[in-house]
Amino acid sequence: MSTDILKPVAVLIAWSLIMLIWMVVVRLPAMKRAGIDINKIVGGKPGGLDGVVDDKAQWPAHNYIHLMEQPTLFYAASLLLAFVGQGTGINAMIAWGYVALRIVHSLIQATSNIIRYRFLFFALSTLCMAALSWHALIAVFSFHGA
Amino acid sequence: MQSEILKPVVVLAAWSMIMWLWMYATRLPALIRSTDYDAKTSVGSVGADLRSFLPARVQWKADNYNHLMEQPTIFYAVAIALALLTAGNGINATLAWAYVGFRILHSLVQVTINRVIVRFALHAIGTIPLLMLTAHAVAIIFSR
Repeated sequence: MSTDILKPVAVLIAWSLIMLIWMVVVRLPAMKRAGIDINKIVGGKPGGLDGVVDDKAQWPAHNYIHLMEQPTLFYAASLLLAFVGQGTGINAMIAWGYVALRIVHSLIQATSNIIRYRFLFFALSTLCMAALSWHALIAVFSFHGA
Repeated sequence: MQSEILKPVVVLAAWSMIMWLWMYATRLPALIRSTDYDAKTSVGSVGADLRSFLPARVQWKADNYNHLMEQPTIFYAVAIALALLTAGNGINATLAWAYVGFRILHSLVQVTINRVIVRFALHAIGTIPLLMLTAHAVAIIFSR
């Protein structure tokens, strides 16, 4: 097994937990300001705080949810590449690129949240993801004859 | 190391990337045409907010892309676990291919006709191979 690619994997997992903390730190005071007593509420639904608390207080939460979406694909492709012995070199570099772009994307979404920049970093990071998927396809189906 | 179950895994990952492209290929032109949206000044919001002014058919692509980020995460975890347990060949590889086949059909239905009964049937039936894979993984891990 070639494990260089596991470094960016671990970093993105840790970063996701940082965003989780960011979400909670911003959200709890915002709920208080909105007059919501967390000891009394029951139920709720995804996005239920949108439009209830300050818009900005929801941005870290939006990003946390975002990190639970496409990165799941990244984890699968990266673990697979490590498993088949192709988690080094270019694949490890692409994975680092993905993680770096996702972290910048998080910082944008949780702060200024200007869509055109957020979109740019998401699109660029997805190109890294697409490249990793392509390499995983090649690795598993051995298009090069292996 | 090689394991047959990794083939359907990468196919579903690549299919998700195709759905991402499909989402943008329909959403970006719709946003450019829309008089309700100015990409230069837009701040905040999430993808789902576009639902209020983009045509439903455009949002269906995004709905399916999001769908692919949900249950398949379990599939990836279980399939890679089975590969690590050297149980990724034979019946488990076949079940994984079935799962991926149903997910691709489910995608095609959701982004085109989007009849809920058809989508539901494909999703419900398509979940059965995942249940079986999960049961196999549990059985193998706890019998060691």
